[in-house]
Amino acid sequence: MRNSFFKIFILALIIAALGILSIYSSTYQKESATWQDIYKRQILWLIFGLVCFFLFARLNYRKLWDANYFIYGGALFLLFLVFTLGIIRLGAQRWLRFAWFNFQPSEFAKLAVIIFLARYFSRKSINDTSLLSGKFGIFRGIILPFIFVAVPMFLIIEQPDLGSGLMLMLVFVGLLYLTNLRLKYIYTLLVTMILPLPLFWNLLHDYQKKRLLVFLNPNIDPLGAGYTIIQSRIAIGSGGFFGRGWLRGSQSQLYFLPESHTDFIFATFAEQWGFIGGALLILLYYLIIRQGFLIAQRTQDAFGRYLAYGISLLLALQVFINIAMNMGLAPVVGLPLPMMSYGGSSMLVTFIALGILVNIDRTRNVF
Amino acid sequence: MERKHIINFIVIFLFFLLAAGLFNLDVRQGQKFRRLSDSNCIRLISQFGSRGNILDRNGKIIVDNKISYDVMILPQEKEDVERALALISRVLGVGIKELKIEFKKNFVSSSVPVCVVANIKPTDAIVLGEYKIEQPNIIVTSKPLRHYPYGSLAAHAIGYLNEIDRWRLTKLEDYGYKTKDIVGFGGVEEKYDYYLRQEEGGLSVEVNHRGKFTRVLGFEPPRNGKDVRLTLDLSIQKIVEEKLEGKKGSVILMDPYTGEILAMASFPGFNPAIFVNKKTKQIAALFHDSDAPFLNRAIAASYPPASIFKVVVASTALELKKVNTSTTFLCQGQTMVGARKFKCWDTHGPQDIFQGIAHSCDVYFYKAGLLSGAQNIHDYALKLGLAHQSGFDLAQETAGFIPSPLWRKLNKFQNWYDGDTANLSIGQGECLVTPLQAVNLMAVFANRGYLLTPHIVKAVGEVDLSARKNKAVAVPLKKKTVEVVASGLRRAITDPKGTANVLSSLAVKVAGKTGTAQVSRGSTHAWFTGYFPQERPQYAICVFLENGGPGYAACVVAKQIIEEMYNQRLI
Repeated sequence: MRNSFFKIFILALIIAALGILSIYSSTYQKESATWQDIYKRQILWLIFGLVCFFLFARLNYRKLWDANYFIYGGALFLLFLVFTLGIIRLGAQRWLRFAWFNFQPSEFAKLAVIIFLARYFSRKSINDTSLLSGKFGIFRGIILPFIFVAVPMFLIIEQPDLGSGLMLMLVFVGLLYLTNLRLKYIYTLLVTMILPLPLFWNLLHDYQKKRLLVFLNPNIDPLGAGYTIIQSRIAIGSGGFFGRGWLRGSQSQLYFLPESHTDFIFATFAEQWGFIGGALLILLYYLIIRQGFLIAQRTQDAFGRYLAYGISLLLALQVFINIAMNMGLAPVVGLPLPMMSYGGSSMLVTFIALGILVNIDRTRNVF
Repeated sequence: MERKHIINFIVIFLFFLLAAGLFNLDVRQGQKFRRLSDSNCIRLISQFGSRGNILDRNGKIIVDNKISYDVMILPQEKEDVERALALISRVLGVGIKELKIEFKKNFVSSSVPVCVVANIKPTDAIVLGEYKIEQPNIIVTSKPLRHYPYGSLAAHAIGYLNEIDRWRLTKLEDYGYKTKDIVGFGGVEEKYDYYLRQEEGGLSVEVNHRGKFTRVLGFEPPRNGKDVRLTLDLSIQKIVEEKLEGKKGSVILMDPYTGEILAMASFPGFNPAIFVNKKTKQIAALFHDSDAPFLNRAIAASYPPASIFKVVVASTALELKKVNTSTTFLCQGQTMVGARKFKCWDTHGPQDIFQGIAHSCDVYFYKAGLLSGAQNIHDYALKLGLAHQSGFDLAQETAGFIPSPLWRKLNKFQNWYDGDTANLSIGQGECLVTPLQAVNLMAVFANRGYLLTPHIVKAVGEVDLSARKNKAVAVPLKKKTVEVVASGLRRAITDPKGTANVLSSLAVKVAGKTGTAQVSRGSTHAWFTGYFPQERPQYAICVFLENGGPGYAACVVAKQIIEEMYNQRLI
């Protein structure tokens, strides 16, 4: 029990520390003091994150069951708030201004939706203790939860934040699959989602279309939309086997790579530490996710299990999509790399999620 | 399989995919991306060294460099360029249209500065420098450019600078020459280019995505070229060019003991500065000029020597004992050689060798030549430095030509007749001699019997080259022969009927020989070649005027030169 807590804590701490090193390296050449101090803010966020981690590791996760509707409602409220009060940065309206920091509700919404889904699928039948989800029909199995996911997802996509929105959908499908829902339903869902995709094409923003086209061929717009992918691939590739060394990444430090401290932090890291460092980082992420899956498998409580699966899946998908996007294997979508990228919301939410995960493992024996 | 395992496998697969992708980028394509990364952020800024100066024998500058200021524009934003051009046009008073044309012509890419105005005044450069803050995309760079303080002075000996051509590039690539290099063409600039040429240094700097400097990676200081010191004497060269001005031909003055060329002029000439300023029209006009202004007539062109060749015939006849100082021939204005009548240019009556040389009597030399034999004359001509390159240190020297019976037989399958010998004896027919050979021939009689290797470069950098020049070769002539010919040469001036009598009025005692070469078209070539002062020669001189009339014309030029040199106390 203490074991998983300790492992996750150490792994997360290492990853976050590597993140801070990378943020430091990507900003230390910049002129203004605010930029150069950005790693200090990240340290602060890490401390907050750790506090949240310990807090949620102590807090019985069953309380989330009770607070579930508040959490979900709160997330929706915040997302609405973004529409009306949100501040615009980099052409997207994703942030809410709080006292002294900007908060990104979509990060929070991901977790809220997972908690909601875990609760939804873990209702027990009154007659026996088995789960209802196995017996759900198409309405209660797919349509109803889909609506609950679709509302925040729509709000997020409209921000616009296509990456986080699609992330929600992927986690939803993953969880559906894990709830032993009939495959037939899941296929139906997938088909109904994929078929109208060509129609959605016209609903996409120009920059989103461009990003997708550029993903297919970055050279169509080397100085515009393709620039980031090209520079990111150069950054990663130039690292070679052993990397260029700490503070010697010319791509990230000389500003050739945009967003080198947030979404493209993996490129910053891999440029300096090469294949060795990059592979190690991927392994660290895998280990932490594996812990999540192990916890889920150990947990008897259905709510706890789905929660653990959901959190692990969320982490796994975010890490995969972000790194794949860094390497040009996935389209550029605005997804941070959990625990590494600069940004308070993502850091806090990730550590809360990890705290919940640890707590599930700690509490399961109580049942 | 349970669904949780499948999900687990999917996740493992995805992460494995990431590792594989990373391997592909880092290890498989790492080299390529490293290169791309370097080219992203490393820029080379070249710094120019200056080409070596060319100095005269006393170290006075003939050609040097001056700093030229060029105005460049960094073409990043279109409006910025427009504004910058407007500013430049206002400061320099150049039409904005011309600037725009120049900008378009020189544009390479948005990250490379474009030169819009080259070679502006230093004051303008300072003014433009003041706008650095308002208009940071204007860059004023300085680089050394060739500067010719005396314009076309000694242009042929010096040569000019231009962009390297294909032919030279293929030959010089191995020595580190690159396309677009500026190299010497003709003269010292070409021959000593390797020493004169500067080495471009440079700064390799790291820049960020905006091209802004971040740090210096390496620095190699530029290296200046070595100075080349010539044997030319600037003041003599000036006099010579002044007197030759307007007459097609060349003048050479040489030290008759060392072979150092003190002055070398060829007219028509050119101003090498037009290549620096890239005055394309003027350059094209010069290249198309039928008078061949780029031809160095002193070394690269050969002409019939006419009467100055009589010096060779006299030496041969004396040396072979066919004539002696008391031998006289009667000149009746003509003589018969075989069945053909050969004319003299005048009727001289009885002539001994001194008079023969002084009056340039053709009849005397027909007879002396026939007695000596053509092959012997040819052999002595070779010994006196004709018909082969003198070993002069500039390229383009031609060998000239002296015919001989043997050559005629071998190459033309024709016989040699006495008439040919008679023609050879007065330096006509197939004979060709360069002015440089003529002056070198005179030097033999000035220094009493030594054939020199003329040269024009005294030192390269700190290294004195005179020790490395070929030693003077003793010509196999008896002392008596040389003295007799030399006094004949003096008689040409002192004798009232001497062909160069016009020079007798000079305060300096001159010895020499005139020549009037018949040519198939146009008026005759005029030669005067000699040395002065006669007792203790300091200078050997050759004045050659292409289609310049009789030898008298050359004497007049020589007289003006020697007079001016005397006035300037150079003798």
